[in-house]
Amino acid sequence: MMDDGSFDDMLFKAISNEGSSQESLTASTDDFNDLLGTTGVSQTTLFHSEDDLFTNYYTDHISGMARKTETIADPSHRAISNSQEPSTKVEEMSPSVRDRNWVIKTIELVFESIVDALLEKNDKLSISLKTRSGSTGRRIDPTNGIVTVDGGLQTRSITFPGSTAHEAWRFTVLVRILELVHDALTSNAVITKRDIYYRSPDLFVKQAVVDRYVDDIACTFGISRNLLNVSAAAKGLMVGNFSIRRLEGTAIDGLTNREVRPRQSYIKHPLTRSQGTLVPNLNEDDILEVSTVRWIVVVEKEATFRSLVHSNLWVDISSQGILLTAKGYPDLETRAFLRELTTVAPHIPLYAMMDFDPDGLAILSTYKHGSYSLAHENSHAASFAASRPLNLPQIRWIGVKSCHLTSNSVLATKASEKAVGQAGGLLKLTTRDRHKARKMLEWDVLAEDGPEPEWRAEIQRMLLLNVKAEMQILEEHPGGSGKWLKGELGLL
Amino acid sequence: MSKQFLTLHTADKAHPTDIFALAATPTTLLSASGSSTIRIFDTTAPDFPLTQSIENAHKLGVHHLVTSKDGKVAASAGFEGTVKVWREDEAGVWGEVGLIKDSNKAGEIWAIALSADGSYLASTTYDGRINVWDLGQASMPKIREYETKGSFGMCVDLSADGHFTASGHENGSVYVFNNDTGRMLHSLAGLTKPIRTLSFSPASKLLAAAGDTRIIALYDVSSGEQVANLSGHAGWVLNLDWSATGEWLLSGSHDSKAKVWSLESRTCVATHSHGDQALWAVKWLPKTGRSELFALAGGDGSVAFYREAAGG
Repeated sequence: MMDDGSFDDMLFKAISNEGSSQESLTASTDDFNDLLGTTGVSQTTLFHSEDDLFTNYYTDHISGMARKTETIADPSHRAISNSQEPSTKVEEMSPSVRDRNWVIKTIELVFESIVDALLEKNDKLSISLKTRSGSTGRRIDPTNGIVTVDGGLQTRSITFPGSTAHEAWRFTVLVRILELVHDALTSNAVITKRDIYYRSPDLFVKQAVVDRYVDDIACTFGISRNLLNVSAAAKGLMVGNFSIRRLEGTAIDGLTNREVRPRQSYIKHPLTRSQGTLVPNLNEDDILEVSTVRWIVVVEKEATFRSLVHSNLWVDISSQGILLTAKGYPDLETRAFLRELTTVAPHIPLYAMMDFDPDGLAILSTYKHGSYSLAHENSHAASFAASRPLNLPQIRWIGVKSCHLTSNSVLATKASEKAVGQAGGLLKLTTRDRHKARKMLEWDVLAEDGPEPEWRAEIQRMLLLNVKAEMQILEEHPGGSGKWLKGELGLL
Repeated sequence: MSKQFLTLHTADKAHPTDIFALAATPTTLLSASGSSTIRIFDTTAPDFPLTQSIENAHKLGVHHLVTSKDGKVAASAGFEGTVKVWREDEAGVWGEVGLIKDSNKAGEIWAIALSADGSYLASTTYDGRINVWDLGQASMPKIREYETKGSFGMCVDLSADGHFTASGHENGSVYVFNNDTGRMLHSLAGLTKPIRTLSFSPASKLLAAAGDTRIIALYDVSSGEQVANLSGHAGWVLNLDWSATGEWLLSGSHDSKAKVWSLESRTCVATHSHGDQALWAVKWLPKTGRSELFALAGGDGSVAFYREAAGG
């Protein structure tokens, strides 16, 4: 029925197709990559997604419109007639653009095949899915410093009824998510992962289930999650001297966190000082105003963000910069926003303040080189002409580093931290920390001849010293953490 | 009383990153770092030339490197969790002769020590076990496992006479085991913070241990009594080494200072700074002439050689 890997990104197959279809379930990822590569090339003149949040809003509108028209006019994007054989459909699809219509069609093919399987009275229904567990198969692309999928992804098939109740549940989850995604795509609405969860909380049990399957689906299709019209609920927080003007006339002011109408005067009163606004999704027509911004600081933790925003230091310096946190590992939206910000204003230095522990460096790596668990998003974005890669090569790590640990640092146990208040911010590594640090040393990013020799050395020192440190350790710096930060930002 | 030591030579950028360990033989100094290469310097020539680089010894970097007292065997522990055993051939070239892997899942091998004749290797694990391996057999099997209370074993040493194994732990514990009976001899009290280094004196009578308290504690090995405290370091003590005669103790600290202590007077007789980064490794070289020599290495990747000043 099919002869090569051109079918392997097809999601669904009835198990009864035996033989050849089994091969295609595990078709070599090289073929898959070839396919992606060729589509990447052929679509450069075609691709435009109106739903793509990463779309460069500086793209010339006229050519953008033209592309859109072309896309819609492309016959391969019409709904597939039922009389066609699946193989024909795929051949027709493969050279085409992976846009909204393509995704809709791909999902419909999945459902069609389920119906076919039911009509043919097959014993089992099956969907094959690429899974992203572990970090094997990720490598850093030396040409652009982005973590990419290196063909090591596992494909597993999820069957119904399956051998266990759990498998049947997984199949149901997958079908339900595909259905909701399909609804969102056909009505051209963006839904959040949270929305999906709340549509069937009894089925999904927890949010993490939705998150995982949505990303697995995007990975299997070889597209960005945004092309599924699914976004994460906004996670990042930011504050600072920026504003975003929307085409319809509203604006967001980053210092006061107020939506203002056109020509309404900006009154910056200390009482209305912003405590942080959710990192917005930028639309193509939005105008980001950052002319007075001299620096951007990304902090790892919300607690650090809050304490900085409440500090006298912030009153002092807020008119000059932007402070941002993604509350841990950054979500795609926050990364996309930062990428946009640094593209609009490449001259503004971007600093990172992370804890001195394996997660701190892994988070820094996610900002700078992209995510290991969502590597398909990094490489995907890089391969599409109208989207930007989500890495931030210019981000500068200012702390906490091993050189900030001083001889006065006191290793605090949790108990003494509370009792004596001698915190110092220094803790011993846990078994998990040591395991994670060791695993990170195997990352391409931290390889001996890799792009980040300093990170490698810092992880090694961390293991040697067996300590990790939080931001409080900088209070030991003469003048405290505030003076330290001002020094790092060149404000002293 | 103070003593003068002069810088004799510095091997700048001996490694591209932190040097974590130094080990000596009668004629060479071996160095290991966060890079994958082990370097070997000739200590008999005045300019300490590099004579061999063992490339790709441990891909993820090397955190511990030790030699047997006779200088015939070396062992290195890498961040990937395994130990490699090395021997020098007749031509003076070092080559790998064995690989030790702890089969236990949680058992990344951390600190290591070799017996004086190089026939046994002791190692620690994150969960506080001390293992002894027989390097005399081809398969290099584990022949003994000492259990402790589960605190990370940060350092280990074997006494030169072969009778004792000592381990220092993250929670401040120091244990001495009797290798003949396989039992714990002493659980030494006195220090409450991480023990980062410990070392038996050449005559196996004393044990020096130090770490985050910044005090070097001296214990009598047979009685387990603490016999002295050497204080003066302002930073965590990362490494200790006895001179061949047992007259001097060399210590290196996180604040980049090295100190030489007289065992006779139990005082610090010399202090040297080595750059401004952690001083991970300090090592006496075998005494060849009239004067003592030692080497320092740490965060700046260089190895500095010092010589006792004449008449000092």
